[in-house]
Amino acid sequence: MKETILEILTDIRGDIDFEEETALIDDGLLESLDIVAIVGEFNEEFDVEISVEDLLPENFNSVDAMVELITKAQE
Amino acid sequence: MAFTSFNFLVFVAVIVAAYYLTPIKGRWMTLLAASYAFYLISSPKTFIFVIFTTVITFFGGRYIGQQNDEQKAYLAEHKDEMSRDDKKALKAEVQKRKRKMVALILIANFGVLAILKYFKTYIELAFAAIGGVQLELGILIPLGISFYTFQSAAYILDLYRSKISHDTNIAKFALFMSFFPQIIQGPIARHDQLAAQLYEGHKFSYENFTFGMQLILWGFFKKLIIADRVAILTSEVFENYTDYAGGVVFVALLFYTIQIYADFSGGIDIARGVAQMMGIEMSHNFMRPYFSESLSEFWRRWHMSLSFWTRDYIFYSIALSKFFGKLGKDMRKILGDRVGKLVPVIIAQYATFITIGLWHGAEFKYVAYGLYNGTVIVLALLLEPYFKKTLEKLHINTESKFWKLFQIVRTFFIVVFGRMFAKAMSFSAALYMYGAMFRPDMGGGFSETILTLGLTNIDFYIILFGCIVWFILSLIQERGGDKDNTYIRKKMAEMALPLRWIILLAGFACVLVLGVYGPGYDAAAFIYRGF
Repeated sequence: MKETILEILTDIRGDIDFEEETALIDDGLLESLDIVAIVGEFNEEFDVEISVEDLLPENFNSVDAMVELITKAQE
Repeated sequence: MAFTSFNFLVFVAVIVAAYYLTPIKGRWMTLLAASYAFYLISSPKTFIFVIFTTVITFFGGRYIGQQNDEQKAYLAEHKDEMSRDDKKALKAEVQKRKRKMVALILIANFGVLAILKYFKTYIELAFAAIGGVQLELGILIPLGISFYTFQSAAYILDLYRSKISHDTNIAKFALFMSFFPQIIQGPIARHDQLAAQLYEGHKFSYENFTFGMQLILWGFFKKLIIADRVAILTSEVFENYTDYAGGVVFVALLFYTIQIYADFSGGIDIARGVAQMMGIEMSHNFMRPYFSESLSEFWRRWHMSLSFWTRDYIFYSIALSKFFGKLGKDMRKILGDRVGKLVPVIIAQYATFITIGLWHGAEFKYVAYGLYNGTVIVLALLLEPYFKKTLEKLHINTESKFWKLFQIVRTFFIVVFGRMFAKAMSFSAALYMYGAMFRPDMGGGFSETILTLGLTNIDFYIILFGCIVWFILSLIQERGGDKDNTYIRKKMAEMALPLRWIILLAGFACVLVLGVYGPGYDAAAFIYRGF
């Protein structure tokens, strides 16, 4: 799953080193437009329903947090 | 009571002293008493509206919070017996109940805002027309109504999204809704960021106390030396706009861009400084916005508490909703992959900027202001691939300093031109002034006319001096990667004591000597106080 997520993220923002960053939201690296694109891709790729309620910074700050978010949503 | 009045300074001094003299556990009560006293002194006739919003938001919030707690407890207790579908059904049912309460509270709060701020005149006219009833909905708009209404909405929506827990003490919640430094012009606070800080007592800290005072001094510098001086020229030109053309109109527009930033950020600095003297850290509202490289970046650095509010509660609510998600999918078939995907984002972007426009008032010029900003950002989004290709063809290095500087200057002027809608007397006045800017002046000559607008040669030099000081400090902050606007104050704290005092006394002397003090020494009202 992590590989696919990294692929999606790099597709949307090629200029960010997603494997290293752990404060993507807190440091303002990801913008609102990126978030919308990322959530759209996640929902489609993993067949989940990530909604506006899941938009907490801690869910999007790092790739690992996103893996956790999607795993939870799939439960 | 204006921030720049002598009375306010006395009020702050008394409250800060009272705060630290109260036993630590009861300090929030001092703040509540101070906040209500401040409101009753400043806007006594409209006090009832704050109480109304506080009470219904508190009880509505408690209901939603209890729904969250009960659902959580039930799920924890019956975790093993419930299937995935059972859990889904339970969540859906609870959500339905919460949604009804959210709708009720939002309609009530925004209803009051709409009646008092947007439709007051129409309702009074309607009553007069129907039954000859002379209805007076109050001459005053409740002080800070937009700020506390938006703040209450954020609280309710955060509870709905289970982001926060509900407040259990109505008196404490009343403080969160009325905290006196922020009631006038924000920043619009989030419950999880501010409430706990208000409720817990803070021990006296030398750093907070002095940092707070320094921030207040800096706020006065911007407000009294720059904003109120520039205001003399802008008021003259914008209020008598048919009398002016050519370069004078452009200077007025440019000066307004300086004025609104100095005025609003100065007021916010005073508010944040007062709070910091009591150990309370309010959220930032400005991050050197005029250094932005694009308009969307500008909106992440300007009036941040409002733009983040609209992002979280309007932009995301639309862009990530099921309905618009489906619309985006359908649109991909018609408009292609890229543009189709952007459809929900574009709709959300326009809704966001129309809200920001309307936030200032109901007049069409504010809608136009929102549409202008929305359109520039949407066009940038749609044309992005073409811009990229053009840049590649022209071999422009987008990482070069020159290109970044070009982008900053370009964004600045996009902002300057858009501000015409917000400042002009009306939408048609804005259009007239755009035209007038490109016509030759009225015959007086630019250098003569500019000195008849209420400012002397010396005033222009003082404005230039103020802006240079401000620019240099901003540049130092920007270079130092200052994220919480404390960089300069921390650097100053490291300086030798005599040097620090020379700087502070010079700043104080500047405000006293160069500040614009109107008749009775009451400075001009803050622009955002009216919103």
